[in-house]
Amino acid sequence: MSLVNTLLPSDQIQVVEAIESWQQAVALAGEPLLKRNYITSAYIQSMIASVEEHGPYMVLADYFALMHARPGEGVNQQSMSLLVVKEPVDMLDKPVKIFLVLAAKDNQSHLESLQRIMTIFMDTQKYQMILEGNKAEITELFNEGGNEQ
Amino acid sequence: MKILAVCGFGVGSSMVLKMSIDKVVKELGLKATVENTDLSTAKATPADVYFTSQELLSELKSSVKAPVYPIKKYMDVAEIRSQMEKYLNEREG
Repeated sequence: MSLVNTLLPSDQIQVVEAIESWQQAVALAGEPLLKRNYITSAYIQSMIASVEEHGPYMVLADYFALMHARPGEGVNQQSMSLLVVKEPVDMLDKPVKIFLVLAAKDNQSHLESLQRIMTIFMDTQKYQMILEGNKAEITELFNEGGNEQ
Repeated sequence: MKILAVCGFGVGSSMVLKMSIDKVVKELGLKATVENTDLSTAKATPADVYFTSQELLSELKSSVKAPVYPIKKYMDVAEIRSQMEKYLNEREG
């Protein structure tokens, strides 16, 4: 089985036009993981609380937020999910369009998949493509290794 | 030279910061190792220079001897490059 293929399955990728608040965006972004029982609702609350407590430091680039909380707590399985909102959402004065949820079980085991996924986000061309919010194109980006099985 | 990338939990953001610093190290042709960690581990880990967020800057600064530089956007290689150059200049000067 190709690891790249399982990096971000299409049902863990969502694109919406707009959303009311960043809190709602974080909750929606985490929903696919919640449905699969990969995380509990406590993890979603922790991510929100972390921003409220420490500020929007998880906004790592214009429009990009890497949402996560303390590893292990509320995480049943290491996983990631992605929400793209076409209209920017205000997160404590920072506009965000991309919410990448990272659920880690510990400090180490997710690093390789995170590194692979971030390589895609750090590619300027691919980043622009993700911002455009075409779900089929985005899904393809994160499943490019699918044929290497 | 040892460079430490620091974030609150040491799981996500600092890993991304490390990736960006790695790019800068390559661009500038520096001989350096880059590691990432959470704030409390960083306080007890010696390094030549630390990079972290504005929010964690003062707490880290008060706990380590080596210089600490703030980074606004962890994915912004240009910003990190300019902070790295600042460190290199200040170190020499």
